[in-house]
Amino acid sequence: MFAYVVRRVLATIPVMALVALFVFSLLYIAPGDPAAVIAGDQATPQDVERIRASLGLDRPYLVRFGAWVWGILNGDMGTSIFTNLPVTTMIAQRIEPTLSLMVLTLILAVSIAVPMGVLAAWKQGTLIDRAVMGFAVLGFSVPVFVVGYLLAYVFALELDWLPVQGYTAFSNGFFPWLENLILPSVALGGVYIALIARITRATMLEVLQQDYIRTARAKGAGQSSILFLHALKNAAVPIVTVIGIGIALLIGGAVVTESVFAIPGLGRLTVDAILRRDYPVIQGVVLLFSFVYVLVNLLIDLAYTLFDPRIRY
Amino acid sequence: MALLEVENLQTHFRTPDGVNRAVDGVSFHVNAGETVAIVGESGCGKSVTSMSILRLIPEPPGKIAGAIRFEGRDLLKLSDREMRDIRGNEISMIFQEPMTSLNPVLTVGRQIGETLRLHQGLSRQQAEEKAVEMLTLVGIPEPRRRVREYPHQLSGGMRQRVMIAIALACNPKLLIADEPTTALDVTIQAQILELMRDLKHRVGAAIVLITHDLGVVAEVAERVIVMYAGKKVEEAAVGPLFNNPKHPYTQGLLGSMPKLGSSLHGDETRLAEIPGLVPSLKAKIPGCVFASRCPHATDLCRQVAPALEEKAPGHVAACHYATKEGAIAA
Ligand SMILES: Nc1ncnc2c1ncn2[C@@H]1O[C@H](COP(=O)(O)OP(=O)(O)OP(=O)(O)O)[C@@H](O)[C@H]1O
Ligand SMILES: [Mg+2]
Repeated sequence: MFAYVVRRVLATIPVMALVALFVFSLLYIAPGDPAAVIAGDQATPQDVERIRASLGLDRPYLVRFGAWVWGILNGDMGTSIFTNLPVTTMIAQRIEPTLSLMVLTLILAVSIAVPMGVLAAWKQGTLIDRAVMGFAVLGFSVPVFVVGYLLAYVFALELDWLPVQGYTAFSNGFFPWLENLILPSVALGGVYIALIARITRATMLEVLQQDYIRTARAKGAGQSSILFLHALKNAAVPIVTVIGIGIALLIGGAVVTESVFAIPGLGRLTVDAILRRDYPVIQGVVLLFSFVYVLVNLLIDLAYTLFDPRIRY
Repeated sequence: MALLEVENLQTHFRTPDGVNRAVDGVSFHVNAGETVAIVGESGCGKSVTSMSILRLIPEPPGKIAGAIRFEGRDLLKLSDREMRDIRGNEISMIFQEPMTSLNPVLTVGRQIGETLRLHQGLSRQQAEEKAVEMLTLVGIPEPRRRVREYPHQLSGGMRQRVMIAIALACNPKLLIADEPTTALDVTIQAQILELMRDLKHRVGAAIVLITHDLGVVAEVAERVIVMYAGKKVEEAAVGPLFNNPKHPYTQGLLGSMPKLGSSLHGDETRLAEIPGLVPSLKAKIPGCVFASRCPHATDLCRQVAPALEEKAPGHVAACHYATKEGAIAA
């Protein structure tokens, strides 16, 4: 088991290296010369050259990549071209709202979607099932910002139950923090809920056909024990896998959600950095998101044995 | 009063192309402590009959009608809650497929213990102790270790032993065994049968044994019910049924029985198969259900369904031509 964990962790290194190379190369894939952009409209070609040299843009590609990776390994992601602050500092300032939003959305989505999918599978073909599936289709097809604006309009502007926008730090108390995050989480969670509910329903339908479910019935087990113990535990591996893969949706959605609800998080930082062609910041944030994604999916892989004893390492 | 009385059981399935009358008007009874075998070709409704007794048929598409009286109470009239109290407690069941009938993600101990916790209110600790006892009873070596293992760590024979342990954990009055040995190899089959016979004496449960292996029937059953196309066509004590079968279908089945041990010794004793196919259960058949395959069938057979008649004391058959002397007098 321990050897397996070590092997899996080591196996993520090439993945991360590839991601890093890709993220670093963004600078060359995207149009526009960063040195010219920073120098501004009035700059002479000499000004641009000077900036290019000071950023190290004149050194060979691989040398710069090596220097960048070396810096990151030492906790240095470079300096923002726009604010002149270290990228790590800028990320540290913005990480709490994004982390809060994503964790809350994750908890909310899983605790709604899984029971929804189980219920739909149990009541297959009934009105409940069709309502759940209908919701899932809706969740997939309506964009996050539409849901976001709609929720903000109804629950914040019309009903005045929740704040329209903004973020309150966790250190200011749990409830103020929660109040600000409810609408963004619901908006962001829509697609995620739809995805998890669908896979839960599909997997449960298959599991409920199995012989051991009939055995459980023959033993006199109650409906909830059959659904949530006997069946759901068998359905867990595909469901958990999709939860992990779906983190990508959350990351993409967080950028939009933060804009809609004016949350000063990493998503906003990314959008601003892209608009300013602030490459060190873009690279830092994208790399961080990729790292989180790889890490979460690694943890999920390692968690499979908890659900299915047949999976051996 | 018999322990179990099944009266005019009809289990029909609604399918896209018509109603499948899987079980169509079957009646029989089982006395306390008795072993009754149900035999018949594949698809004649044996499993559906047994699952109907515990109401394990999915409804819809299934629909169970008739009466199933267990100790005088009609199971079809009980609430789901009352039915759950009976399942695994007073009536329990062993299935055809030992490889897939245990939950792969729960330990053996937990699965045996679940029945005990449900019906006897044991604590987790007590249930595990009792599970170890049950594993010992069904002859699994190293029960303390096995109780913490998962089904995939056990062989097919051991899994069926675990199923038997689950079924017997609460000392049921009736055990329904649906082809408990079909999926196992010959030596394991013999061991499992031996185990069931041994446990039957200790626990004193009545057994409904479903099988298409007539050799098994001869060894363990006291009374036999022969089913064909969803109907009971003959019923008798084991001796008379084997020595003096009344229904041409039963005669055919006995003719198709391989000689004991023939397969082991490599003899070329071919199964004498009954020619023809089981009729579709979806069309209503006006006459005798077996007429299309019966060597003795007449116009009467094709037009009028024969009623079940007592041909000898305790020996009933549904055939116009089966006489009390036991021969076909066409
Ligand atoms: N859930 C179901 N839906 C529709 N038809 C069903 C269902 N379950 C069983 N049947 C039908 O009921 C009939 C009898 O099946 P059953 O399983 O009782 O046969 P069997 O006598 O046990 O055969 P075998 O010896 O192969 O186990 C078959 O025609 C089968 O297709
Ligand atoms: Mg069967």
